[in-house]
Amino acid sequence: MALRTDAAALARKPQARKQRKEEAVTALGVVAPPPIQIESPNFNGSLATLFMCVRERKLDLLDIPLMPVCEAYFIYLLQAHVKDLDEAAAALSALAYLLERKAWALIPIAEPEPENEELLELIAPTAYEYDAAIAALQIWHEEREQVFFRPPDGGNDAYEIPFDIGNVTIQDLARAFEKLLTKVEPDEPKVLNKPRRSISEQMKVVMRVLSADWKALDELLKPPFTREDVVYWFLALLELIRLGQASVRLRKEEVEFSRSANQKNPAAKTPTPQHLNTQTP
Amino acid sequence: MDTVDSLEALLFVADTPVPLNTLAVSLELTEGQVEQGLEVLGERLAGKGALKLIEIAGGYQLCTKPEFVDIIARFLKPQKQRLSRSLMEVLAIIAYKQPITQAEIEAVRGVQSDYGVRGLLERRLVAEVGRKQTAGRPFLYGTTQQFLHQFNLNDISQLPELSSGLPVLQVEEGGIGS
Repeated sequence: MALRTDAAALARKPQARKQRKEEAVTALGVVAPPPIQIESPNFNGSLATLFMCVRERKLDLLDIPLMPVCEAYFIYLLQAHVKDLDEAAAALSALAYLLERKAWALIPIAEPEPENEELLELIAPTAYEYDAAIAALQIWHEEREQVFFRPPDGGNDAYEIPFDIGNVTIQDLARAFEKLLTKVEPDEPKVLNKPRRSISEQMKVVMRVLSADWKALDELLKPPFTREDVVYWFLALLELIRLGQASVRLRKEEVEFSRSANQKNPAAKTPTPQHLNTQTP
Repeated sequence: MDTVDSLEALLFVADTPVPLNTLAVSLELTEGQVEQGLEVLGERLAGKGALKLIEIAGGYQLCTKPEFVDIIARFLKPQKQRLSRSLMEVLAIIAYKQPITQAEIEAVRGVQSDYGVRGLLERRLVAEVGRKQTAGRPFLYGTTQQFLHQFNLNDISQLPELSSGLPVLQVEEGGIGS
């Protein structure tokens, strides 16, 4: 009997060891961590229990300080004379898992940007929004044209002398100019630094030729003449008309020129507008 | 010497709008006294004669009454200044947004505006009022006293408000100066 008992006892030992080893395999998959006891304000129990509770989201890890957990593990390593390295590794793995879970929980999560449900702001005013203002300005401008003020520049200004050209239009003057211009061939191109002519001097020449009798442009300018001569004559005539020194009329579709009635002295000094003063040879 | 007659004499020789304080200094009176005198002068002129007193472009000035426009036009033969639609558009934008750069004007209109700005500068309705402190330091433009005068305005604040929707314009009959 004793042998059977001893044999039976001997037979149960390996089975017991195997059973203990089977019970040691936990959710970690290999070996259960050793019974490291943890005491903290929010948790009292073993490391394995803490691991299972966190994994099953039964505990909020943010409420559990991990410092006591780490201390318990180090005390276990130093004082418990660890013989089973698998158990120590399982404990380290559980601790690492807890540390990683807590680290992720501590990382601030960026708040999602609120959806902009408001309507897009209107773009800067476009020109159509000024329509009312433009209409108002036009009305006020028209009202302003109904009244007159003392002009800002006192006294006679050469550019403000009212001249009368009667029924002669700009087109009539242009026609007379073109008619004379077509009678001569274009000038040959000349050197650029040739001496420049003066309109003011040409005006004096024209005044010497003008008389009280009405004459057409081709009667005033005798051949031979060049196109350049025609241009200078025409410009001088226009300036004399503007200054009131010469008169113009339209007679049978022909533009005629004469000296103005108030111009008696053919050698009268003609005012030279400043902008027409050019270099003379 | 009568204050009202003195004011009439000063305004007759003035060829630009005269500010209230300038009249007060010239006549050695307070601005309140000058205002009272101007009111009396305005009523006197409105009752008879061809002239009237208006407040324009920040000052006071004598001008002819509208009923004499035809006679004066036959005498002076004034050249009518007509601004095109594009010039009016640029002018309105500058008036409301001043000081403003040309690029900003073009951003509002969506088209190039250098011709419009140049045209208004030549007519002295706008002027360069400075430079913007950004890259390139572009010119800033603003309206002038001439603008106020030409559009019968006493102050830029008299411009109507812009509205985001379709605007409804209500303009007083007779305008600002009457």
